[in-house]
Amino acid sequence: MSMLTPKQKFRAWGRRQLYSLFSSLGSLVQHWTGTLMTVLVLGIAMALPLGLAVVMKNLHGMDFRQEDWGSLSVFLQPAADETEARALAAAAEERFRVSVVLISPEQGMAEFLERSGLREAADLFETNPLPWVLLVTPPSGATPVDQMAAAVADWFGGQGAVEAVQLDHKWMQRLAGWVALGDAFVRLLSAVLSIAVVLVVANTIRLDVANRAGEIKVLNMVGAPNGYIRQPFLYSGFWYGLMGAALALLLLAVALAYLQSPVERLQDAYGNAIRLQGPGVSGAAVVLVAGGLLGLAGAWWSVQRYLRQFRVEDPVRRKSS
Amino acid sequence: MITFEHVSKRYANGVSALRDVSFDLGRGEMAFLTGHSGAGKSTLLRLVLLLERATAGRIRVNGHDLDRVPSRRAPRTRQAIGMIFQDHRLLPDKPVFDNVALPLMIAGLGYREIGRRVRAALDQVGLLHREDALPDEISGGEQQRVGIARAIVSMPPLLLADEPTGNLDPDLSQELFNLFAQLNGQGTTVLIASHDLALIRSMGRRVLVLADGRLVDDIAAEEVGRGKA
Repeated sequence: MSMLTPKQKFRAWGRRQLYSLFSSLGSLVQHWTGTLMTVLVLGIAMALPLGLAVVMKNLHGMDFRQEDWGSLSVFLQPAADETEARALAAAAEERFRVSVVLISPEQGMAEFLERSGLREAADLFETNPLPWVLLVTPPSGATPVDQMAAAVADWFGGQGAVEAVQLDHKWMQRLAGWVALGDAFVRLLSAVLSIAVVLVVANTIRLDVANRAGEIKVLNMVGAPNGYIRQPFLYSGFWYGLMGAALALLLLAVALAYLQSPVERLQDAYGNAIRLQGPGVSGAAVVLVAGGLLGLAGAWWSVQRYLRQFRVEDPVRRKSS
Repeated sequence: MITFEHVSKRYANGVSALRDVSFDLGRGEMAFLTGHSGAGKSTLLRLVLLLERATAGRIRVNGHDLDRVPSRRAPRTRQAIGMIFQDHRLLPDKPVFDNVALPLMIAGLGYREIGRRVRAALDQVGLLHREDALPDEISGGEQQRVGIARAIVSMPPLLLADEPTGNLDPDLSQELFNLFAQLNGQGTTVLIASHDLALIRSMGRRVLVLADGRLVDDIAAEEVGRGKA
């Protein structure tokens, strides 16, 4: 009976895999209440880091164009005229390869009146109090852009015609820092909850193994190798992980749908800078595969610990003892 | 088929189950292993089945030196031995057919071949009509015959039985022993642990007698026939 050809062995292996794959799924369906509880725990555990990862992804999708971080507004002295403004702009462009947009006091006033809704009050101003303003943007690809901006700001600060220099997007830079911190937190949380998933599956499989201890003992006595005994439990672990991941994706989809409306309101405030996105097809595939593998790892750990009791002493170990 | 050379087995708790046991069971032979409870019968069978390792001595089964079989190869060694237990060790939630098919599924045979062999084995033990029944739905004697069918379904050259008639009435016991004799007649080597001396005598086969872990007597079939056992 053991004289099987390699082809027969391969077919036998395939048959065993298929049988274990579907019989383990059938067993989970048969005990659906227990399965549901476990899958719910796994789904929630996976949904947490997944949800945070999606939040971080969406924050990354905000208009965090790094070149904006270095943008600065240079306010000239009230006495400075157009000639001085143009000379400063030309000098900065030549020295730092920055692009400079000049805003005259008249343009500044018009924009102010337009935005503030005080057009009717324009007559109240006897003179225009606004100075010439230079909007400076570092060259694209300048790195690190914040250091470049600091150097440009220093240079403008040293010019006599300059009243004040303001870095426009400091807040965004800080937010990006928080986002980076958030990314690290998501990675940490993912690692911790991955361990939790492995432990939950391991414990569930441990109980399953304990319930089938008699069957395992019989299998061992009639010559089933550990791989054969292990197989259905490994597939159960895989199914648990896969179903947990699928549930996590479902919970995420529901959460995203629920958040869509408030996020749209936020979008308006940011001028359509935010686009709410899910993990996408490839992201979902990664989550499902990762869930399945985590379940597999948990099951392996649990079954392996149990099967050690059936291991007969190796002859070498006996001789040395 | 089975050779024991000065085999001893001492458990971790200090109990010596076997002491310096030596015997040889030839291919195609049938023998009984007898002795009181705790004499070492089950331990001897567990050593042959590689569920335990001997502490000293050498065991050869079907040409293999068990001392050289690594732990990971032990299951494969077991596949070549049919084992029958006193308590049947059937899977309660699987029908008779699946229980008997177990060794063949482990070996990876195709479904058609499994079906053919399982039905042949069930036919041999007279249970072909009960293949769909669950173990709980059949009698103790039938359960034991299912256990025998499972042991012979892969046509192993060696059959071991540990008190196979322990829970059966005398008639059923005799019937089972006759079945073993029939299997032996087909070339299978059979070693049966039993303390039912009357039954053993009735079979007229070789008897190995264990007492306190020692092989104290090895009675040839002819002598059993003359009433020595």
